Amino acid sequence: MTDRRLAAIHASDVQVSVELETPEMTLNLGPQHPSTHGVLRLVAKVDGEVIQSVEPVIGYMHRGYEKLAEVRTYPQITALVNRIDWVSGFANEIPFMVAVERLMGVEPPPRAQYIRLILTEMARISSHLVFLSSYPLELGAATPLMHALRERERVLDLIEGVTGGRFHPNFNRIGGVKPAAGAGSTQKKVSQDLPAGFLADTRKAMDACDSICDDMVDLVLGNEIFVERTRGVGIIPSARALDFGVSGPNLRGSGVHFDLRKTDDYLPYASFEFDIPTGSNGDCFDRYFVRMEEIRQAARIVRQAIDGLPGGDLQAKVPRIIKVPKGEIYVRAENPKGEMGYYVVSEGGRGPYRLKIRSASFSNVSVLPWLLEGQLVPDIIAILGSLDFVLGDVDR
Amino acid sequence: MSVTVSPSEVAERFAGLVGATRHTADFGTAKVYVTPAQWVEAHRTLQPHLPFFSWLGAVDWSNERAVGEPPEEPVSERYEVLSRLAAVTSGAAVILSTDVPKDNPHLPTLIGVYGGANWHERETAEMFGIVFDGHPNTNHLYLPDGFEGHPLRKTFPLLSRDVKPWPGLVDVEGMPGETNTEAGDQETEA
Repeated sequence: MTDRRLAAIHASDVQVSVELETPEMTLNLGPQHPSTHGVLRLVAKVDGEVIQSVEPVIGYMHRGYEKLAEVRTYPQITALVNRIDWVSGFANEIPFMVAVERLMGVEPPPRAQYIRLILTEMARISSHLVFLSSYPLELGAATPLMHALRERERVLDLIEGVTGGRFHPNFNRIGGVKPAAGAGSTQKKVSQDLPAGFLADTRKAMDACDSICDDMVDLVLGNEIFVERTRGVGIIPSARALDFGVSGPNLRGSGVHFDLRKTDDYLPYASFEFDIPTGSNGDCFDRYFVRMEEIRQAARIVRQAIDGLPGGDLQAKVPRIIKVPKGEIYVRAENPKGEMGYYVVSEGGRGPYRLKIRSASFSNVSVLPWLLEGQLVPDIIAILGSLDFVLGDVDR
Repeated sequence: MSVTVSPSEVAERFAGLVGATRHTADFGTAKVYVTPAQWVEAHRTLQPHLPFFSWLGAVDWSNERAVGEPPEEPVSERYEVLSRLAAVTSGAAVILSTDVPKDNPHLPTLIGVYGGANWHERETAEMFGIVFDGHPNTNHLYLPDGFEGHPLRKTFPLLSRDVKPWPGLVDVEGMPGETNTEAGDQETEA
């Protein structure tokens, strides 16, 4: 064999061994990383820029609400469930209240139901505005944050005006909503239960939310960098989404035309006109688009509710000490993050025997190991952010 | 799209499909009772009809309780494992329920049928001590590594309560499972 040929073999050997010996690297993201919206940790095995596998580590914020609920009374649990998904605290209360009311056979008065519905939709708007503004920031655009959070503050102010709390309203009562201070539970003067000017201010805020969506179309959806980073990235096929229990805007982004507000009757949504926006590809862009359209639809619902707000009581008659008859019930609701539900087992006492909390973000995040496999490292942030989860909702 | 379906019809239909002997639809919650032997096969049968895996959890039916109120009448000791499946073309949804004995709590995993069962089963395993046979990852999900005990079992005490009484006791009503102040025992109707 000639020296030249030997040298060639040697060179090809070197090349092969270099290709084979690419070291697998472990990349640790979190638990304190700004893009994780709390304390989520991702342990990723990467080969160069390509992710081989991802293991999400959760539980840093596990507060044991299911155990705590077993030693609390039903009215006290309202304060707990507020804090599951704190970006939309009010919406968390609804399915729990409806579950307890149905076990007790109590029906809240129409006015209370409408106020619940208005505040739920406003919670949805404020939650989605956080996403609309923070997601571009994670991809490097700072302007939308300031822009959309201004309108969100306006919505939060209105919620605070009615309930007294920006994040944790604790406003629902079993059988209705909390009457205004000093008004008593059977107050008749409808002008006193909502703060003066609330309806007019809300109408203005809804118009502002519509226009912020218009602005976002130009500012974000028309931004070439944003489109390049989100189109075709992090695709969740609809069958995979269903399999993992991915719900809410993430599911609708994958093209599934499903909304619990249309199928379930936990609040009187049947008397309102609104559309269910859906995506077509199931990528990050679609999830952004769906949430933006949901703000418009929520504003539409709030306007109709203000127009049709019935008068009357805020609270049905319930015993002073709440005891819930024996039974088991599951009530689910379409929360901003997805399907939120409570499985309540009552043995007839003052607190539940067992409270199983189904939170949307838990299932939405559980799809991550599958979703991130084979993606590029820079896309981790784009995909994480697009799922719009809250760690309190993952860990409970 | 508003398709409202009657829970009792849903329960009856799916109970027929999986060959369950018992089904209920109290309070609008359709529930189908299967045996542990039927567990995986029942899910496989329902998967095409109810592709959305909502959640999986368990209830510890126990007479010995470290938390909550003591039982008024004895319950039969068991772990009840529940899984909630739903359709997305209508409001149809059902909870499958099976009873697992306490002395040997085993159940086959559902991962082969619903991928989403993975985390839910890990949570149920660490919280109740139920073993899901065939589950690929038995690490703790929420609890720290090396944590001993299964917190959602009724025999697991809530230690913070033992160390310090709940300050809400001075309020108008008593806490579940605690002897009450005189105010809490008066049950007045409003």
